[in-house]
Amino acid sequence: MARHKIYQEEEFPSPFIQLWLIFRQSPVVMIGFGSFLFLTVLAVFSPLLTPYSPVESHLNSLLLPPAWDDAGDISYLLGTDNLGRDMLSRLMHGTSLTFGLSFIVVIISLVIGVIIGSLSALTKGIKSSFLNHFLDVILSIPSLLLAIVIVAILGPGLDNTLWAIVMVLIPQFVHITRNAVKEELTKDYVLASRLDGAGSLRILSYSVFPNIIEKIVSQATLAQSAAILDIAALGFLGLGAPIPLPEWGAMLSNGIDLFYIAPWTVYLPGLAILFAVVATNLVGEGMRHAIRQRKES
Amino acid sequence: MMKSKVSRPLIQMKQFYMLSVLLLLLSGCYGDDKGSLSANSVIYCAEGSPESFNPQTVTSGTTIDAVSYQLYDRLISFQTEDNEIGPSLAKSWHVTRDGKMITFYLRKDVSFHQTDYFTPTRPLNADDVLFSFNRLLDPAHGFHHVSGGKYPFFQSVGFSSLVEDIEKINDYTVRFKLSRADSSFLANLATDFAVILSAEYAQQLAAAGNHQKIDLQPIGTGPYKFKEYRVGSLIRYYRHENYWRDQVAIEQLVYDITPSKTARLTKLLANECDVIAYPVAHEKITEHPNLTLEAVTSFNVSYLGFNTQKPPFDNKLVRQAIAYAINKQAIIEAIYFGHAEVAKSLLPGSSWAHDESISGHGFSIDKAKALLAQAGYPDGLTMDIWALPVQRAYNPNALTTAKLIQADLQQIGVTVNIVSNYEWSTFSRLLARGEHQAVLLGWSADHPDPDNFFTPILSCASMNTGNNRAFWCDPAFDDFLYQSLQTTNTRERKKHYAQALRILSEEVPLLPIAHSRRYQARHKNVQGELLHPFGGIDFSGVSKN
Amino acid sequence: MLVFIIRRLNLFFFTMLLLTLLTFSLSFLFPGDPLVNLSGQINATPQQLEQLKLAYKSDQGIMQQYFAYLSHLAEGDLGLSMASQTQITSEIINLLPATIELSLIALMLAMFVGIPLGFIAAVNHRKTADNIILSVAMLGYSVPVFWLGLVAILVFSIQLGWFPSAGQLSLVYEIEHVTGIQFIDILLSDSVYKWQAFRDASAHIVLPACVVATAPATIFIRLARSSMLAVLETHYIKAARAKGLTFRQIIFRHAVRNSLLQIIRHIGLQFANLVTIAMITEVIFSWPGIGRWLIESIYQRDYTGIQSGLLVLSTFIFIVHIVTDFIYAALNPLAREHNHGTS
Repeated sequence: MARHKIYQEEEFPSPFIQLWLIFRQSPVVMIGFGSFLFLTVLAVFSPLLTPYSPVESHLNSLLLPPAWDDAGDISYLLGTDNLGRDMLSRLMHGTSLTFGLSFIVVIISLVIGVIIGSLSALTKGIKSSFLNHFLDVILSIPSLLLAIVIVAILGPGLDNTLWAIVMVLIPQFVHITRNAVKEELTKDYVLASRLDGAGSLRILSYSVFPNIIEKIVSQATLAQSAAILDIAALGFLGLGAPIPLPEWGAMLSNGIDLFYIAPWTVYLPGLAILFAVVATNLVGEGMRHAIRQRKES
Repeated sequence: MMKSKVSRPLIQMKQFYMLSVLLLLLSGCYGDDKGSLSANSVIYCAEGSPESFNPQTVTSGTTIDAVSYQLYDRLISFQTEDNEIGPSLAKSWHVTRDGKMITFYLRKDVSFHQTDYFTPTRPLNADDVLFSFNRLLDPAHGFHHVSGGKYPFFQSVGFSSLVEDIEKINDYTVRFKLSRADSSFLANLATDFAVILSAEYAQQLAAAGNHQKIDLQPIGTGPYKFKEYRVGSLIRYYRHENYWRDQVAIEQLVYDITPSKTARLTKLLANECDVIAYPVAHEKITEHPNLTLEAVTSFNVSYLGFNTQKPPFDNKLVRQAIAYAINKQAIIEAIYFGHAEVAKSLLPGSSWAHDESISGHGFSIDKAKALLAQAGYPDGLTMDIWALPVQRAYNPNALTTAKLIQADLQQIGVTVNIVSNYEWSTFSRLLARGEHQAVLLGWSADHPDPDNFFTPILSCASMNTGNNRAFWCDPAFDDFLYQSLQTTNTRERKKHYAQALRILSEEVPLLPIAHSRRYQARHKNVQGELLHPFGGIDFSGVSKN
Repeated sequence: MLVFIIRRLNLFFFTMLLLTLLTFSLSFLFPGDPLVNLSGQINATPQQLEQLKLAYKSDQGIMQQYFAYLSHLAEGDLGLSMASQTQITSEIINLLPATIELSLIALMLAMFVGIPLGFIAAVNHRKTADNIILSVAMLGYSVPVFWLGLVAILVFSIQLGWFPSAGQLSLVYEIEHVTGIQFIDILLSDSVYKWQAFRDASAHIVLPACVVATAPATIFIRLARSSMLAVLETHYIKAARAKGLTFRQIIFRHAVRNSLLQIIRHIGLQFANLVTIAMITEVIFSWPGIGRWLIESIYQRDYTGIQSGLLVLSTFIFIVHIVTDFIYAALNPLAREHNHGTS
């Protein structure tokens, strides 16, 4: 710690480090960030960590309540469902489906959205106005409704759900990239490099992108919390992950059958979704807060 | 200028605050006394929408439950005490010695419903009986083709070839002439399907050219009369004031159509339903202080039916392989919470035709694998299982059953896709067209005669009505059923049925899984016998205190 | 103002054009014959198909087909539902009011809870109250609505028995369908049990409305908070403070009014979000609205239903959007004037 102070005056931290320094000041945000990392680790390594297979039925232990209940069994820490499947293992596997896939979905739509958005920022006139209106229309249709319609076109299933959510998220990235790029393009330093003879693509990649990347990443956290909720909602409605997969939303809808008899089959997946979304949102909030603070300082 | 404009929403806001406080206050009063209306009404949470209001045209339990006992009466009926056939609209009947001529003597004091769309001018008489049966027997009858012209139950038992003629002797006497003796004929007339419609109402509709209304705006003689029906939402019945038996104790009977089993239980617990169909039979309900869970023995079977017209199930070996690979005991534990018996054959153990020597297919992965290899699928195959989308007595949770079967079949390399998203009416329409590969379904007997387990669902005749979900037809099998109906000697009949069962056990057009009981849960303040071992629910004796 | 109205109508027109184009193209994207998808006639005889072909001009160019589709829409003909084979228009007329009722009541609830809380948070900026309100808002914003609904039913219907769990009204009451908005229908009906029914209907709407309102309320909290913070930073507030007005006077007389204006702008945008939530809530609370119907249509693969449901719901959202725009403009003259470019 002492060393930091020595170097502070000599070395001005890079924008990212600055961001991180502000970001880590808030303990709540750091808890969120820790949870986010935890979920990421779980999403990648859950097959190695789970005590049981997520689809294996233990017919001798149907509907066991969680271990802290009197009727519970310590070997099934969070209880079992109506087919005797271990809830803990299913929830852990579900992390890679609901949380992990939402991450991938966001990355894909981010890449596509940013490309389209930055190209469209370079257009002008009627084309630009049409695109603007078109984006407005798409953005004002509820995202879940749009996803549902796309699923209806493609047919139910996990793959199709993911594509549907990618398609729904793309316009949001297009919108934010487009506005951010347009805003940057009016700035003097861009004009300077244009005067230096840089082409549009070069300006985009060397001057604009480094300055808007934080905005996009903070949009990405928003998008991810929306993606988690959408994947789970579609799974809940029976349009997403097919039956044996332990996707959280699908697990929850499976639990509804036994809502009154085995409430933990409903509580636990819901809490898992809540946990993942809160963690994501905390990271996003922290990031937005840090960006704002850095601007002010 | 600006100030006055901006202040407007504030005033509105205050008003809205007051309004919402008012609303909250109003809703706070809820629950103490629901007043006289709900005390005089019974709400039954049913599992699905009826397809029609005429039981003649359907076989689905949902429709029977909704319609049959509430709106109609039969000539004869099963007595609740002993399941023997007793009088109903016919006060007595007479069968000739050769069993080919049956005469019914009708009651004279039976009135039809009076509603806003029909006012009867006369009580029930022989014309109504003739109309009701001629409609389904005679293809030239003006009402035969209304609502699709299918009478699946009657077609599947070969009613039209059995009944040669129906004759009106006088206004209150009707005679049926049969082409051959049939020991299940009277039982068939006592089923939920053989209801008596109003000939006068039919005339009125025919005069107005509104034939199809007969099955949509029904008129019958039953304890309740039709008021309104909203598809997928509710059926409303009012008490029939001139019912010929004792008048019903409540004024209004409402069917709240709630396909989700959880939603029904929730509504029961939250006091929104008085009685619910097919609850989860679990001790948590029996432990609840305000609820009772009741069960009646029900003659039923749940099965996995194979579409024998489509590959791979046109191959008997594949069907056998699947039969060996399914762990029925596990299904009994997980789905019925242990309250059911493993089905060894189509007939439940309590049927007199049940044969101990038929043991069915045990659970053996090795046998299943060998059979599958022999059938030419050593590496397994992929199949669809359609899971019944509603709960029935024979299977309270077909989707979970399908999941268990999915896991079982995985072990012999068979990949199962579960199809479960259809709503009941779509589901049954697609099934009748044979669009499925395999289907989890079942059958509840309509009367105690064992014939009812075979002819309606597996005979060649039932294949044409689409009720034979296996689309399987075997003349040898049909012949045993036919021979059995020719005699009234129980021992002889049992022998024929045993042979029929052996054919089924070898051919496996469908795999029997379980025989269950029918459950129902209600609030303790709802009184009266509602369930019978056969057929649908009957609200004529219900009361509330 | 005239220019403003024309601009909004223009926007509405353009949006509807795009939207109908979208739903029209859906009939080609969905599996099956576009003509059947558009009309919903799955059991049509060959002669009927010929007539449909004429009516929808499906042997002509794509533009003619689109205009034929538009003219059907203009006549209020959305085709038949593939699942029930009834006119979709009449089904929607039956169902849409329930959705309007639920979503508007939820919107009110969200505003009346969210906005004051947001103001409180802003006034106590970076104090405990602010932190608590913000954390609650974060939770409310993150909670999956279907789960919230289930938990609400478990707690308030099953365990406490305070509120019913399903539907708009207990089925024992026979209320004639006039407007479709349950409360109005009850007041219009001549049933002797009118007030019982009214009470019952109020009890029925409490849980679903609260569940729908949760997420939008948290958004209103954030909106109200940031707009109040922005207003408190402005010079006229500083001037008022310098003038010696009390804190109460500043907040109630100046700050609240001006920050409310900014929030009204966002209502339209939030409404799309709210309707999505309402769709899922309708499924959970068996609310007989269009959202539940739309999701049922998907289960039934009723493509005509999906198409029309999408069109009607989105139109509803746009109308609310534009209405709030008008309200905003009516309250804020500034908005009417410099409304060139993006809005």
